[in-house]
Amino acid sequence: MEAAQPKSVKHVPSYCYNCVSGPDLMTVKVVDGVATEIEPNFAAADVHPAKGKVCVKAYGLVQKTYNPNRVSTPMKRTNPKKGRNEDPGFVPISWDEALDIVADKLKAVRAKGLVDEAGLPRVAVSLGHGGTPSNYMGTFPAFLAAWGDVDFSFGSGQGVKCVHSEHLYGEFWHRGFTVAADTPNCRYNIAVGANVDVTGGPCAVIRHADARVRGYKRVQVEPHLTATGACSAEWVPIRPKTDPAFLFALIHVLVRENGLAKLDIPFLRDRTASPYLIAPDGLYLRDPQSGKPLIWDENTATAVPHDTTGAKPAVAGSFRVASAVVVDADKERREYSDVEGKTAYEMLSQHIEKYSPEWAETICDVKAATIRRIANEYLEAASIGETIVIDGKTLPLRPVAVTLGKSVNNGWGAYECCWARTVLAALVGALENPGGLLGTTVRLNKSRDNRHLSVAPGEDGFMVQYFNPTSKEEWQVAPSTRNLHQSLVPIVGHNGAWSQALGPTQLAWMFQGERPDDWNMPMPTLPEVWLVYRSNPSISFWDTRHLAEIAARFPFMACFAYTVDETNYMADVLLPEATDLESTQMIRMGGTKYMEQFWDHKGVVLRTKAVEPQGEARDFTWITTELARRTGLLEPYVKAINKGISGVSPLKGEGYDLRLDPATPPAPEQIWDAVCRAATITLSEGREEHDLAWFKEHGFYTVPMSRLEWYLTPTMEQHGLRYELPYQERLLRAGRELGRRLHEQKTNWWDEQLSEYTALPEWHDVPGRWIRNLEKAGGKAEDFPFWLLTTKSMQYHAGGNAAIEVMHEVAQNMRGHAGVIMNAKTAAGLGIAEGDRIEVRSHIGATYGKAALVQGVRPDTLVIIGQFDHWATPFAKTMEAPSLNSIAPMSLDLTDATGSGSDIVRVAVRRMEGRVAA
Amino acid sequence: MKPSIPRAATLAAPKQQRNWDWRAAANFVCGGAGGGLLLGAAFAGLETPAARIAVLLGLALIATGLTCVWFEIGRPWRAMNVYRHFATSWMTREAVVALVVFAMGGLALLTGAKAFVVLAGICGLAFLYSQARILAANKGIPAWRHPASVPLMVGTGLAEGAGFLACVAAGFGAAGSSWIALVLMVLIGLRAWFWKSYLARLDDDGAPDAALKVLHGMSSRLLLLGHVAPAIAAALALSGAPGPGVWLLAAGILAVGGGWFMKYTLVRRAAFTQGLSIKHLPTRGRGVSGPQVKPGWKSIQGAKAG
Amino acid sequence: MTRYVMTIDLRRCVGCQTCTAACKGANATPPGIQWRRVLDIESGEFPDVRRTFLPVACMHCGNPPCEQVCPTRATTKRADGLVAIDYDLCIGCANCVMACPYDARSIVHEPHYAYSDSPMASEAKRFDPDRVGVSMKCSFCKDRIELAERTGKTPGVDPEVTPACVNSCISGAMGFGDIEDAASSVRRLLAETQHFRMHEELGTEPSVYYVWDKS
Repeated sequence: MEAAQPKSVKHVPSYCYNCVSGPDLMTVKVVDGVATEIEPNFAAADVHPAKGKVCVKAYGLVQKTYNPNRVSTPMKRTNPKKGRNEDPGFVPISWDEALDIVADKLKAVRAKGLVDEAGLPRVAVSLGHGGTPSNYMGTFPAFLAAWGDVDFSFGSGQGVKCVHSEHLYGEFWHRGFTVAADTPNCRYNIAVGANVDVTGGPCAVIRHADARVRGYKRVQVEPHLTATGACSAEWVPIRPKTDPAFLFALIHVLVRENGLAKLDIPFLRDRTASPYLIAPDGLYLRDPQSGKPLIWDENTATAVPHDTTGAKPAVAGSFRVASAVVVDADKERREYSDVEGKTAYEMLSQHIEKYSPEWAETICDVKAATIRRIANEYLEAASIGETIVIDGKTLPLRPVAVTLGKSVNNGWGAYECCWARTVLAALVGALENPGGLLGTTVRLNKSRDNRHLSVAPGEDGFMVQYFNPTSKEEWQVAPSTRNLHQSLVPIVGHNGAWSQALGPTQLAWMFQGERPDDWNMPMPTLPEVWLVYRSNPSISFWDTRHLAEIAARFPFMACFAYTVDETNYMADVLLPEATDLESTQMIRMGGTKYMEQFWDHKGVVLRTKAVEPQGEARDFTWITTELARRTGLLEPYVKAINKGISGVSPLKGEGYDLRLDPATPPAPEQIWDAVCRAATITLSEGREEHDLAWFKEHGFYTVPMSRLEWYLTPTMEQHGLRYELPYQERLLRAGRELGRRLHEQKTNWWDEQLSEYTALPEWHDVPGRWIRNLEKAGGKAEDFPFWLLTTKSMQYHAGGNAAIEVMHEVAQNMRGHAGVIMNAKTAAGLGIAEGDRIEVRSHIGATYGKAALVQGVRPDTLVIIGQFDHWATPFAKTMEAPSLNSIAPMSLDLTDATGSGSDIVRVAVRRMEGRVAA
Repeated sequence: MKPSIPRAATLAAPKQQRNWDWRAAANFVCGGAGGGLLLGAAFAGLETPAARIAVLLGLALIATGLTCVWFEIGRPWRAMNVYRHFATSWMTREAVVALVVFAMGGLALLTGAKAFVVLAGICGLAFLYSQARILAANKGIPAWRHPASVPLMVGTGLAEGAGFLACVAAGFGAAGSSWIALVLMVLIGLRAWFWKSYLARLDDDGAPDAALKVLHGMSSRLLLLGHVAPAIAAALALSGAPGPGVWLLAAGILAVGGGWFMKYTLVRRAAFTQGLSIKHLPTRGRGVSGPQVKPGWKSIQGAKAG
Repeated sequence: MTRYVMTIDLRRCVGCQTCTAACKGANATPPGIQWRRVLDIESGEFPDVRRTFLPVACMHCGNPPCEQVCPTRATTKRADGLVAIDYDLCIGCANCVMACPYDARSIVHEPHYAYSDSPMASEAKRFDPDRVGVSMKCSFCKDRIELAERTGKTPGVDPEVTPACVNSCISGAMGFGDIEDAASSVRRLLAETQHFRMHEELGTEPSVYYVWDKS
């Protein structure tokens, strides 16, 4: 289609990892040195579940490269005042000057010490969307490793925009940092808010499309009709945030109405803690000698330790135990004799009795008959007893899954939902078995590339867990990060950046402003240096106008910048890094990763420089190496690269040594050449070695992987381990200990969160928390009669696409983009017509947009797609789009025990007569 | 560039066409009237100056319309390519007929020969018919493609031609005005009937709701101003009421005005596209399929605007 | 005889607009011009609501009304089923735009670009002055089909000779091939499913088949 005949045309293989559902493979068409098109990489069609294709986002990368609004040279701020109304006065400077400014700040920090007087790191780093920046920031992780203590507290949405409780509890229960249906084998999927056809990436989209054609049934339970709901067999418009009640009622139907005999008894008996006996005080009855939890052996009619060989554990029932102990918080031990012990399953059965479909109907606004039918369809589809042979091994086939979406699996109520859906899987044996519910990656445990390696025997017949300690001796009294993750959230653990980043990130922001009256921890300080990459918390968090004010107070901020945006508007230095098509990096692909990225292969993929960087933009690895050199960290930085940090394999291993000289700054190509070779040697177990030049031509390298890697249950079986379900004795104890520690410090502001630590979750008025929150702030509930929710957009979600014109254009073909989705009948009652400019007001502020009227949303609910409301980002700021983030409060009341919150707020809505400045 | 406004909700529904603006509408408005006038001039038996004025006016109307179109097309300097598809394109045929019209009309003006006036008149009718068929050939616009649009367009062209003729006659002292007034009345009546029939058949056969709304919305005004009023004026001119020339002039202006109002509305405001539809909603997994959805069309049972 | 057709499986489509964006990239269409797009159509009333995604573009009709009305013969019906436009002949009269019952055609009278009055490098590289002021539409990626003729490759099977939208489709909703070829995947799919063509009652004989259920 070119007007002039091109002199050269190349198709450069690469990857897109702009959202967590990647990486997906693509090629960049380069005509006479100019990137003109993104195309699938069909060479990967046989190994990539999505057949070498990328989603719509990747097709914006050409514009992303040549966007004239890019920051094209390093810049420094000339206006010392910072704020939304202060022009930063950015002026171009040389790379030398920019790097020296940043390096001097870093060196000054090192001279003083990495940790300040409050015990907090002096350097903070914020990275965006779900870890995806690491797929674009080259060797920066090696620099961070070389640096030492860093605070990742200042989140840009993690905890509130991610599936936070699922990350924490999913990984705890079944090494499922992200959890998915085994879609290729699934026959019945209850998707409670899981918007997988929008957010699951090409791998999920093709698998669910195949499943639809195959005839699976997906029931979408959600207040509004998303694209995923549209593509489901049935839509159940549930009242917002009442999902736990719906899920409890499903369990009720299975356990109380169908009964144990129809459930997967062998799975419950052998792979879960269902047989463990519970004392009247709610703790495990344990063997007085070994301290092991007791079960009731039906063969001998006695209570025996859970791992007794030859025992046949009773799953249900209540039994007299002659002698036992319990171990409470702080290892307090109590002895019992002739005590009644109920099995954990029995406890569940009694607990769930009150949560009937009729009860749930009054809460969820879903008919009891519908709930009952769905539960029974789920049970029937589970086909208990059926098997499947995978790579010569016979496994149970349990083709049912309950999947959860954002705002269902974060914030209050999320613990209940995560628990209920995992129990629903366990009851029918679908947990980590073919067709069922799978974890696909781990982040709080190691190895991050193979979750099976994280399975090892721990306490009480369960997997090993690495909770933050809550014992008197080890509990972290003075927080080591500004979001207090080690002090407040035992389950998030202390496994580096991921544990930190998954702490209660809003606390880091909130406590820079107001702190609870009974605050008695060290006063939180501001980091002296804040580095930001692919992250825009001033847009993507909550109460964003306030957040931007806090960001303006940070003393020194350096941002790797694509365009000016709402966060780097406060920066002191902007560093333009070469973007997706302009730089080189190798990452892992395949195996099992986020969302539905579970493959039949595993390997590595190279993103190579397809075109020269625009302006003065530089390869991130070059920038990092320069920073390391200028801060005197070259040696530890290169050693970190040699260890495999930020590469995919160590540069030295059995039969090869490709280590780089720590005394010489390595060129990016030199680093990636070594990584390419090490990766292929490792993957091929020494049979093959390919260099950077080979990868530039071929793009990727894979080796086959058994599909058995998808399922954890065989590994659990191999280790003789049980899933820690359905009864949460460990969490109960952790909560009690944490409460004691906090109260010993006279800290009571976390008490509400402590209520989440229950062995069997109870329904509490989850939506009511938001109403009480606005009333506490002085608002009247009746003044804010609607729920406002948000939902994701495939076109925009992640990747900074709000600045990309073509993404905006194609997104407008989908209903509701850049507007406020509301029920047409509700709107008519308020005199609002399609396209009318409306105000959506919460108790903390207002946001404005055009009404998008639909039938596919509950009458009491409004929805805003994405998170816009930009005021600095070029192009995006002209969209005049609304955002929930501008009017959702950050509040301790709305923070759950894991530190997460949900995208939901009570609002009023009215039609604007004229134009209004937000 | 400023981002465009949200539009997903209306994408599938019929949309008002935006490619033929007032310039294209002017071709139908003026050209049709010009063709009708030439035909009228051929058989009106006017005296030479009046006949010449009528022919000149008819040619000028057609020329004005074509000039407007020339300013609208994307590649005006390639306009001669319009002659490449006589086999099926009514636009090509219109352009060919236009050449003959101008040739015959020119000769009629130069020579004053009756034969050329008649030939120009016949060509004028052919031009008018071509225009009607141009509209009707557009399957993308339900209000145009209906077969009843052809007699309507021809009928209004003739009525407008007669209207212009009446004006010319009035300007020349209303010589032979009774005959012209009578013909005008008949043609107005005929147009009213074609309009009624067109609208009724369009209702029956279906058209986008928005198009029907526009057409029905104008119908009473068209009836009153474009049909009843000129008919009364013509009747008064016939009845021997005082100032027959004024009544004839009024009847002519109203007849032309009514026709132009109708044609402009049809070409612009009522010109909604077919829109897009789904004959069967798909099954999604173990769900069920659904009935046809045709956004913006009322005639489909169970369908809602998209 | 060869007749290329497209199949669109509505059971699969999720409305992601990947094909829309891929088409814009492959054909370098200016902002606001989409040779194809996916419509988002809602029907019913709460709570009995359906939402359907409907990809639309030129239907490459067997009996194309655009071709009949075109006064310049810029629009032609090719022997292989494609409806093509010769930009050098078209005068931009828009008669074809009116004749098409599928909203498939558009005319751009002035060049315009994504971010400003001047083109980005990628836009400048691909700007084609021949496409200003003339009728444009989906071409079934004509150049690729012609490449197939030269190379012997099979459209719908070999990606380099398959339309960009079909290549890009992440849900597997789109297929392409010769319906006259009994072995083609489109022929097989149509044999085992229920399908319709849009506005068939207008006699246009579209070459795009929408699959909505199994047989």
